[in-house]
Amino acid sequence: MKFTLNIWRQKGPGEKGRFVTYEAGDVSSGMSFLEMLDSVNQGLIAKGEEPVAFEQDCREGICGSCSLVINGIPHGPDRGITTCQLYMRRFPDGAVIRIEPWRARAFPIIKDLVVDRRALDRVMQAGGYISVNTGGAVDGNVLLVSKDQAETAMDAASCIGCGACVAACKNASAMLFVAAKVSHLALLPQGKPERTRRVRAMLEAMDREGFGSCGNHR
Amino acid sequence: MALSGLGLVIYVIFHMLGNLQVFEGSHALNGYAASLRDMPILLWTARIGLLSLAALHIVLAIQLTFRNRRARPVAYAVREYRQASFASRTMAASGLVLLLFIIFHLLHLTADVIDPFSADRLDAEGHRDVYGKIVHAFQNPFIVALYVAGQLGLGLHLTHAVTSSLQTLGLEHAAFNRLFNAAGPTVALLVVLGNVAIILAVFFGIVRG
Repeated sequence: MKFTLNIWRQKGPGEKGRFVTYEAGDVSSGMSFLEMLDSVNQGLIAKGEEPVAFEQDCREGICGSCSLVINGIPHGPDRGITTCQLYMRRFPDGAVIRIEPWRARAFPIIKDLVVDRRALDRVMQAGGYISVNTGGAVDGNVLLVSKDQAETAMDAASCIGCGACVAACKNASAMLFVAAKVSHLALLPQGKPERTRRVRAMLEAMDREGFGSCGNHR
Repeated sequence: MALSGLGLVIYVIFHMLGNLQVFEGSHALNGYAASLRDMPILLWTARIGLLSLAALHIVLAIQLTFRNRRARPVAYAVREYRQASFASRTMAASGLVLLLFIIFHLLHLTADVIDPFSADRLDAEGHRDVYGKIVHAFQNPFIVALYVAGQLGLGLHLTHAVTSSLQTLGLEHAAFNRLFNAAGPTVALLVVLGNVAIILAVFFGIVRG
């Protein structure tokens, strides 16, 4: 398969960036999006050019490192996956693909497609934890948690903190991230006592970081 | 945003219901208008209250819009929305349309600046002839078009506004979410239908002088 890529290139923080067009030839339909970028970068390196910087780590949809806005959608056209789980067979042969970084004031660009997402860590540091020592692992049914409660908490805990919600939001708000963390902890007995303080602290931290406000878009 | 907005929504609903009395003839509507004017303290409290609510709503909206613009200084070159509805994404625009329409509406039917034709006319019972004023106004196709456009702006705004306000106030519960989600579109539809019915009934001669 062949693709035309319009990729955001930016030398460093605060520098002026621009879109550069690259041709990706010889792409197999089974390649992941990141593997396709690897092969483009191999070509650039062979030509002595600077490869495109993008963030990645586990490449199995767990770590939340990969962060590309593909044709205007964070993590690309499929639902419920990260960029590393997106395969090139999802695109028609010869497609033109636009690749941008997450865009938010709270996520300054470090280089090309890599952004600094430490703002989310600082929001977590403000209250996304349980401050009591819960001791060692307790016996199975000592603390009873209903099935529904456990499932809802697990749904919230499936947020891997990739920042796609900020990238997708019209207002670059981190409300979905904060809501996921807050719900996850508040639903479980260990996190319940601190839930009100946690919400206030995390919301204040979110505002401090320069995220936008939630418009309740639906 | 939510509280000031909900206050305005409640007014808009009662404004529509009050005006529906146009279908009961000039006696009902003019009597209703006169009864409002007979209570000047209440009338002016309501007017000042409404103006303050509207002013507060607008100031907050401007602050919020600028803050949200600042949150994304560099825009995306390509943007595709997957979930956010058209109404929710255009609240600032529909709000502006609404503001312009309300200013026109106040100058037109409250202050009688735009069309002084029937400003001080009285009906047979000596009441101000609000009925006659409405019948006169909505025979003009330009006025009808403007008002219907204003109502579409109102409908678009309310579709997102009511549901969003309930969410801001923390009204979220699995048992009631369907009700909350339906609240916005339902209120929008009823208010717009009621108001447009008045305008078109006059225009097509169903309600006449």
